[in-house]
Amino acid sequence: MITIDGSMGEGGGQVLRTSLALSMLTGQPFRIEKIRAGRDRPGLLRQHLTAVRAAKGICGAEVVGDAIGSQELTFTPCMVSGGHYEFAVGTAGSATLVLQTVLPALLVAKERSTLLLEGGTHNPWAPPFDFLQRAFLPLVGRMGPKVRVELDRYGFYPAGGGRFRVTIDPVAQLAPLELVERGEIHRKRATAIVSQLPMDIALRELKVVGKRLGLVVDPPDIVFVKDPVGPGNVVLIEVESENVTEVFTGFGQHGVRAEAVAEKVAKEVRRYLAAGVPVGEHLADQLLVLMATAGGRFRTVAPSRHTTTNIEVIKAFLPSEIITACVDEARGVWEVEAKKM
Amino acid sequence: MNPKKTVIFGLLGTVLDGAGKREDRWQKWRPTVSLFQHEELLVHRFEFLHDEIRDGLAGRVAADIATVSPETKICQHKVQFRDPWDFEEVYGTLHDFMHAYRFDPDREDYLIHITTGTHVAQICMFLLAESRAFPGKLIQTAPPHRSRRPNTGSYTIIDLDLSKYDRLASRFRQKMRDDVSYLKSGIETRNAEFNRLIERIERVALHSTAPLLLTGPTGAGKSLLARRIYELKHQRRQVAGPFVEVNCATLRGDAAMSALFGHVKGAFTGAVSDRPGLLRAADGGMLFLDEVGELGTDEQTMLLRAVEEKKFLPLGSDREVASSFQLVCGTNRNLQADVAQGRFREDLLARINLWTFRLPGLRDRTEDIPPNLQYELDQFARSTGAHVTFNKEAASRFLAFAASSEAAWTANFRDLNGAVVRMATLAPGGRITVGEVEEEIARLKAAWRREAMTGSDEDVLRRMLSDEQFDELDRFDLVQLAEVIRTCRHSRSLSDAGRALFAASRRRKSSANDADRLRKYLARFGIDWHDLFRE
Repeated sequence: MITIDGSMGEGGGQVLRTSLALSMLTGQPFRIEKIRAGRDRPGLLRQHLTAVRAAKGICGAEVVGDAIGSQELTFTPCMVSGGHYEFAVGTAGSATLVLQTVLPALLVAKERSTLLLEGGTHNPWAPPFDFLQRAFLPLVGRMGPKVRVELDRYGFYPAGGGRFRVTIDPVAQLAPLELVERGEIHRKRATAIVSQLPMDIALRELKVVGKRLGLVVDPPDIVFVKDPVGPGNVVLIEVESENVTEVFTGFGQHGVRAEAVAEKVAKEVRRYLAAGVPVGEHLADQLLVLMATAGGRFRTVAPSRHTTTNIEVIKAFLPSEIITACVDEARGVWEVEAKKM
Repeated sequence: MNPKKTVIFGLLGTVLDGAGKREDRWQKWRPTVSLFQHEELLVHRFEFLHDEIRDGLAGRVAADIATVSPETKICQHKVQFRDPWDFEEVYGTLHDFMHAYRFDPDREDYLIHITTGTHVAQICMFLLAESRAFPGKLIQTAPPHRSRRPNTGSYTIIDLDLSKYDRLASRFRQKMRDDVSYLKSGIETRNAEFNRLIERIERVALHSTAPLLLTGPTGAGKSLLARRIYELKHQRRQVAGPFVEVNCATLRGDAAMSALFGHVKGAFTGAVSDRPGLLRAADGGMLFLDEVGELGTDEQTMLLRAVEEKKFLPLGSDREVASSFQLVCGTNRNLQADVAQGRFREDLLARINLWTFRLPGLRDRTEDIPPNLQYELDQFARSTGAHVTFNKEAASRFLAFAASSEAAWTANFRDLNGAVVRMATLAPGGRITVGEVEEEIARLKAAWRREAMTGSDEDVLRRMLSDEQFDELDRFDLVQLAEVIRTCRHSRSLSDAGRALFAASRRRKSSANDADRLRKYLARFGIDWHDLFRE
């Protein structure tokens, strides 16, 4: 059986989620040990348990060790079946991470799937909904399957309570993805979302990102959340290029000035623009698992610890060779290539 | 693996849980909601108690819990407190709720949230958990400390089972060791059975006010132990009143009634003034009735009523008086046998022997002789100011004798005490030598032999036989066996005794082997020739 060291690399929940996704995808059972070892609350937390149970539900897995605080888990998948599923995540934990766990298997399932996901949709520790919708899923579409998402309600930390729907039209086999050139930048757009908070926050954020990135923010693009569950604020910057769309997110935080939130995300965008690569750090993470099964290559910024950890987990499950190489040291451009065996 | 589910019980906090306007409530710390916002605390069910009036707020809180914790099933219960600061009402209501609740501790772990509700409610929840009416632990929540995360705060689970805390447990163990050591007068006894017995007594004495019965041979230390139990309980403030000790064997006739239960002036000739009696003197304290088996039947009847109802009638009085005391009884008799023979009231025995502890005699605790010897020397030094020691040879000679079968120790520790006092007094220059030891050994042997010769039939036999064996004896055998034993002890050998006992048959030459006949007779009672000289 495949054994994964849960404390490897960044050693967080990502190791578990990637393992679950690959196990479902390949049908191979695995055992993960030392889950979140060395953290102040080691072992499985509620959000991890939700991911495990979601995965279990979709492939009828046999699971041992799925309890809060458990540092060992054995997961034996059975048959992945598409269909309608509903998952709810507590503590405003991200529902998008649950999707990330189950999506790869459902992309190649026999049946069409519809998912109803509840929980956090925009929280700082996970890819926000807008990123999935506009950056990641269009690329998935290029590999064959059609995935549509629809946001019903926003869910911010700490209240959570967001909801979105996903429809997945699977394919038998994912097509390789080639994403080496970004191409010409068509459009840059900034949007601020506020929920149960003063409009002023959004205006201040847009003013800063406008100035830093040379964007026209008049009229300001503000989403004022109707029927809010709880308070929250994000500022989104979308960079639409010839071959790819990237989405960057700044998260409003209690006790952090709106201007600081905007500065931080603007800086991230400028780094991406300067590198001239198509794929940003977070997008690279999302693409890895799919590319490892389908093959392909993309250019991105220097791989984060998150990315290298993901590659290690992938190697445990797949015979694919994943090559990461720096192709332009001056600008920090790297190429990641997955060779299907 | 099937881990237990977690169930939390909590009251709606009308102030803290209602914090903030509807708009900004998520910016505020709300204790009940915060319980469900911790990533590592998965709550399967929430038993949410609130009153009718706060239905609206409770509903909003429940909805917010559902949002942050879709894993949790929320069960709302309406409880009505007319006055949430009225202890009796709140405790009664919560107690009824817990009593009616179907707990399933094999499958579920229970927590009760003590941060919300009035202080009175919190005290009630604590008491319910402490008394195990609520079979779980306490959970306390606290607001965040200038945290980045605005409203989650922290929580602490408090287990009232003190034995689960290592440092506390070791402190209690130490305390218990101290108490046990106190009951043993600080003597480092080695006899495992005796040590276990004292540990049991310590536990019972400090947790019960029921009567205690101390049995065991004379001089085994019943009286000293009773006084030590009293002193320990007194130190612990479990008894405030005095320790009253009386040997029932010294109470006879009318004087017995009067001494125990008191009399009023003029109750009988010579009753010139009121006498409160020992039972009343022991009010709020402890009464130790030694040799309780010697109590007359009238006194037994009065005592039974005094123990059962804490009331009795002094001699000549028509008004009952009350006295509440802890009763400790001592006896070296077999009270069961006395009951069978109609000498002791069965109902009184049932009352006083809820806890019976049998103190072994010194001969059953030979490994405890050295520490007791040291204790006696220390006691001698304390009372006389003279520090006396054994020289090495004398000590080993005395200990060898003390543990040997030659030493009868019929009065147990009283004998040992007497021996030490005599040797210490006679010791030249505070040093006991082999000379004093040999002299004392001879003295002890002589005393024991004398006792064996002169004792009543019953005394002779009780020392020879177990209580059970003695009670089985018919009066017929009792007289015969006692005389046989006395004769044997006067004799030099089994044959010598046989010749003496069967002298008449011998003259008629009808008996071939007197020694064999005697051996067989003794064997019927499980007695061997050598046994006769152990005492």
